[in-house]
Amino acid sequence: MRKGLILALALALALALAGLAAAAPVRGVTDTTIKIGQWGPQTGPAALWGSVARGTGCYFELINSEGGINGRKIEYFLRDDGYQPNRTKAVVKELLENVGVFGFASGVGTSPGMAVMPDIIANDVPWVGTATGSTHWAFPPKKTIFAVYPNYPDEAAILTNYILFTLKKEKIAFIYQNDDYGKGGLEGAQAEIKAHGKSLVAEIPVEVTDTDLASHVMKLKQAGAEAVIMWVLPKHAAILLGTSAKLGFKPTWVACSTLSDAPLMHKITKGLWKDVIFGNFAELPDSNTPLMVKYKAAFDKFADKKSDHWGVFFYAGFGFVEPMVEGIKRAGKDLTVDSFVKAMETLKDFKGIMGRVTFAPGERQGMREVFIARCDEAEVTTADGKKEKMGKAVRLSDWIAVK
Amino acid sequence: MFFQLIVSGIAIGATYALMALAMVIIYKTSEVLNFAQGDMAMLSAFVAFTLLTENNLGFPAAFAGALAFAFALGAFLEFAFLRRAKEPNVLGLIIITLGLEMILYGLASWKWGSDQKDFPFPVSDFDTHEIGAVVISDLNLVTLAVALSLMLLLFLFFRYTKAGVAMKATQQNETAARLMGIRVNRILMLTWGISSVVGAAAAFMIAPVDTLDPNLMWTPQLKGFSSAVLGGMTSLVGAVGGGFLLGIIENLFGGYVSVEFKSVVAFAVIVVILCLRPSGLFAKHYVRKV
Repeated sequence: MRKGLILALALALALALAGLAAAAPVRGVTDTTIKIGQWGPQTGPAALWGSVARGTGCYFELINSEGGINGRKIEYFLRDDGYQPNRTKAVVKELLENVGVFGFASGVGTSPGMAVMPDIIANDVPWVGTATGSTHWAFPPKKTIFAVYPNYPDEAAILTNYILFTLKKEKIAFIYQNDDYGKGGLEGAQAEIKAHGKSLVAEIPVEVTDTDLASHVMKLKQAGAEAVIMWVLPKHAAILLGTSAKLGFKPTWVACSTLSDAPLMHKITKGLWKDVIFGNFAELPDSNTPLMVKYKAAFDKFADKKSDHWGVFFYAGFGFVEPMVEGIKRAGKDLTVDSFVKAMETLKDFKGIMGRVTFAPGERQGMREVFIARCDEAEVTTADGKKEKMGKAVRLSDWIAVK
Repeated sequence: MFFQLIVSGIAIGATYALMALAMVIIYKTSEVLNFAQGDMAMLSAFVAFTLLTENNLGFPAAFAGALAFAFALGAFLEFAFLRRAKEPNVLGLIIITLGLEMILYGLASWKWGSDQKDFPFPVSDFDTHEIGAVVISDLNLVTLAVALSLMLLLFLFFRYTKAGVAMKATQQNETAARLMGIRVNRILMLTWGISSVVGAAAAFMIAPVDTLDPNLMWTPQLKGFSSAVLGGMTSLVGAVGGGFLLGIIENLFGGYVSVEFKSVVAFAVIVVILCLRPSGLFAKHYVRKV
């Protein structure tokens, strides 16, 4: 009698467990909602890049207003990490354990992203479109991490090449943030210039907390640089250009695509951004492609105009996340991590407002092209009738694919 | 390059000197290190920014208004928070200032947002004068002038005015000061007010170069603290001298030794001075004999 009871209980337990396993829910997904999270520097020295995460919010509002994806609406969770990796770790922990998100969209900051990558891999969490061109996301490839932003070394190589052969300047210096973000660009420039038998005349590191760049500029000036490539925060680019103007150092300035919001940079550099050449990963703000028009309308409708303006940093939040949305769409009603990954791998030459994105089994670097632009000035009349000069990006090249 | 580094060092050193001055004023009166100094100044800079851009006041009116705000803020913080401390030992008060710093930072971020803003200033950092191979800007000269004149004014204030002497007395022995009829509470409020005004002046001159955002004063405050330690926490002249010295040392280090480790210099200075000459280079060395 005893034995029979125990057997019956064991069987019941086994069936119950089997039943649970079969109905195991996918974290962050219900029949009507998908939870997606993003960290971003809403405060701190990189706050100008905070609009990326707010742009994604606007993008999701647009999608939800059109009925969501396959009948599911997106619940968006934006958290401030202040560009500090230890805070990003706390944010990701909260979003995974307390909130239970399905995946992460974008996320600004190479160092913040690297701090949370191990946790994301360990928890099998989809993560698409990190807002940095570091090579760490896609090389070596990880199952659930899909990189969109073109690699920094590639972009730096393209810019160096442009300086050498189109601008015809040989004395090139590189000023970079002293972390993986800056060093990624430095590597690319070093490799490219070496391949042409030369070397950089100066390589100057900048700390995130630095506020006085006088000695940095003095070193650049002393090295006799004709062109300087910047791989720094917008704030430092502003201080750099200001200090250089003051010290009479006038090279050709070339910037990473992380500084590609020309009107904004023109404003915070008090107009010194004129004639700066920079890389780009997305359509220019006045572009008239159907998607850009649609997204601009979404900005007009949903965005908080006091904290955001229609610019590259804002609609980057759309562009980096477009592939993720497409992947969720292609995965269909049966959305799991595996079905999502398989769907993402079917993206070939997918075009949103950025360059073409292609993934494949084992291939996790989606976009491998940039184009070059220059900051010109345009005269505008402000609301109170004053005439002001505003920065305006002007295309200098077509999309240049990485070899 | 050597002379340019020195001149640039003096220029940035002037801003450190102002911050050091502000910290020393409070320290001289109550031995409290005010870690909220930077953010009090930052908040005043934001007030000036609002008065300049939204209310469209001219520079004199806007700056006067913001300095008045700074004074009121300093006095208020002392009155509302520092004085309420139950067991007012120095460490506890310092921790209160740390808390205040965080509150002020959050307040500024919430009210004005965290992105960089362009701070207008009547004197430009781009109007430069060239003396030989060395460049110095109008803004640098103004900062230098303000730092030196404030130092002089405060020195005279502490030595020759009743309130100034009362402040020194309060620091030496608070109980005795009370017994002598000094209204210690009022003196402390005055001290905090003056200190806040000096800090605000520093912020007005740092913001045009560094772009205005809530993080504006974080590094200058640290450098100001380091300068005060270098020059002597109880000496006004020491604070200002320490500021210039630190600016020069940093720049020379960055130019000739290593740009990468330039930001470490200020902290290394604190450690070295505390080990070798704890009361600072320019201050009298007080030894308490038991």
